[in-house]
Amino acid sequence: MKVGIPRGLLYYKYKPFFTTFFEELGAEIIESPDTNKEILDLGVKLCTDEACLPIKVFHGHVEKIKDKCDLILVPRIMQVEKREFICPKFCGIPEMIENNIKDLPQITKAPIYSYSADKFLNWAYETGKLFTKSYIKIQRAFDYAIKEQNMFKEGIDDEGFQYKVALIGHTYNIYDKFINMNLVKKLNNFGIGVITHEVVDDNVKHMEVKKLFKRPFWTFAREYYGFASYAVRNQLIDGIIYLSSFACGIDSVIVELLKLEFEDIPFLLLKIDEHTGEAGFDTRVEAFVDMLTRRKGGNLA
Amino acid sequence: MYYLGIDVGSVSTDIVVIDENYNVVESVYLRTKGRPIKAVQEGFKYIKEKIKTNEIAGVGTTGSGRHIAAFLVGADVVKNEITSHAVAALSLDKDVRTIIEIGGQDSKIITLENGMITDFAMNTVCAAGTGSFLDRQAERLEIPIEEFGDYALRSKNPVRIAGRCAVFAESDMIHKQQLGFAVEDIIRGLCEALVRNYLNNVAKGKDIKSKIFFQGGVAANKGMKRAFEEALGCEVFVPKHYNMMGAIGAAILAAERQIKWTNFKGFEIADVKYETASFECSGCSNLCEVAVIKCEDKVIGYFGDRCGRHSGKVAV
Repeated sequence: MKVGIPRGLLYYKYKPFFTTFFEELGAEIIESPDTNKEILDLGVKLCTDEACLPIKVFHGHVEKIKDKCDLILVPRIMQVEKREFICPKFCGIPEMIENNIKDLPQITKAPIYSYSADKFLNWAYETGKLFTKSYIKIQRAFDYAIKEQNMFKEGIDDEGFQYKVALIGHTYNIYDKFINMNLVKKLNNFGIGVITHEVVDDNVKHMEVKKLFKRPFWTFAREYYGFASYAVRNQLIDGIIYLSSFACGIDSVIVELLKLEFEDIPFLLLKIDEHTGEAGFDTRVEAFVDMLTRRKGGNLA
Repeated sequence: MYYLGIDVGSVSTDIVVIDENYNVVESVYLRTKGRPIKAVQEGFKYIKEKIKTNEIAGVGTTGSGRHIAAFLVGADVVKNEITSHAVAALSLDKDVRTIIEIGGQDSKIITLENGMITDFAMNTVCAAGTGSFLDRQAERLEIPIEEFGDYALRSKNPVRIAGRCAVFAESDMIHKQQLGFAVEDIIRGLCEALVRNYLNNVAKGKDIKSKIFFQGGVAANKGMKRAFEEALGCEVFVPKHYNMMGAIGAAILAAERQIKWTNFKGFEIADVKYETASFECSGCSNLCEVAVIKCEDKVIGYFGDRCGRHSGKVAV
């Protein structure tokens, strides 16, 4: 069986798990290419207008590979941490895809609760059924996939730069070079190193958010706030750049939280949408870099 | 010796010549009309009557078209608008603490302390409430944009207009018009809405301290100035060359460099024929839209490719 894996949404985070799981079950993996103009255009055309850019881009990836595979992974990720939630759009993504895209092959619809192996196994059985009747085989594929995922070294932690910024945002914005106009490389070219949230241990983030007046509802909020708080306290960074997709509800909460808490740290909010003209983006990044270097006594010009 | 500053913005292209003491000697303000090369050439035609090429000791460019302008004229410094605006304001008054800048597509707030930028923010992907929106409304109401501010000042009873989104604002304006409200009151209401939107959006959470400078093309609008003063409860200063501050800043940055030999290609480029074209590159899946600049059938520059396969080919 050929399994399509769209290179969108949390692909960048959970790629090792899903590819290993399906490969262990004997599937051939068809990955969509990196996001490009065609995929963006397809996504914008097919998806409801109100959705955010990453959801549209995901639609484009599905459309791009739908004719080449027998099954497409559309992960309905509900919870990755107990008592926390991730973006509600993820909970309904299979229905969005089903209703917006015609002539689809079969798609995965089972919900994913990955905070415990037991709960997560339900998804594996539900999905693995399509490949084999043997629970043992599925269990083995699952265990192996988890192992691969745990070995995956996530995140960016640049070394050898005079300045360093925390680059915060959803993985599908930070690692999709097309929609973020190659931001990491742009920063590196300006002499700015980047550190992302995955570098800091989860337990540390849990500790950092304890000082908030309430436990974060969103997993993303805990991760990003916890990371920023740790990085600021330990003076790992000179500034924060938040990369956000236009109209993201979760981002709007986190951005306010960060701005209020870390008033003295230079903060730049970059919003991305369908735009491919880079002038506006470059101006903001360049001006931010100027400000950082001047603060540290560097030269302006 | 003189220094040349060029600000190629979305709506206007401004060119200034400053002397060694940063006084403005010559200036031109033109509409870009989507043709940045032509706008720069037009400006040069005017300036070359007054200033000679060999009197220019340095050139700086800024604005969203700064790279194409730099390439065209041979710039020594290419700087973003934020830094340029701040440098220009500081050259006039060392005590300026806040700069409100509203241009054709962008609005910004810059806060300063001891002559250094401490914080800034720009509108995000949306350009509601900027100059191009005011332009469009003036056109729709058939009022010259230059008189927009006077209309606002005549109003005694402003009407509330929805801010936040240009499309919302426009439909709200039309609905109020249809109810029979006076144009003056609607225009003043619009100014207030834009200021409200600016303060709640771009300037949100920023410490707005005086002295406050208001610059950019929209600062010409007296209605906007007054709406800002009313909302902030203090005086807002509009510098003499409010619509040229970016270009002045770029010229100052070029002067500060103290370069020995400028890259300036001369005002004579005003008479050269340039052509522009574009194509979609099929070199990879990015399918970049690449702009080509030609001079007498010879390609002299490429813009817009992400990988640099075209733009790297031509020496700038």
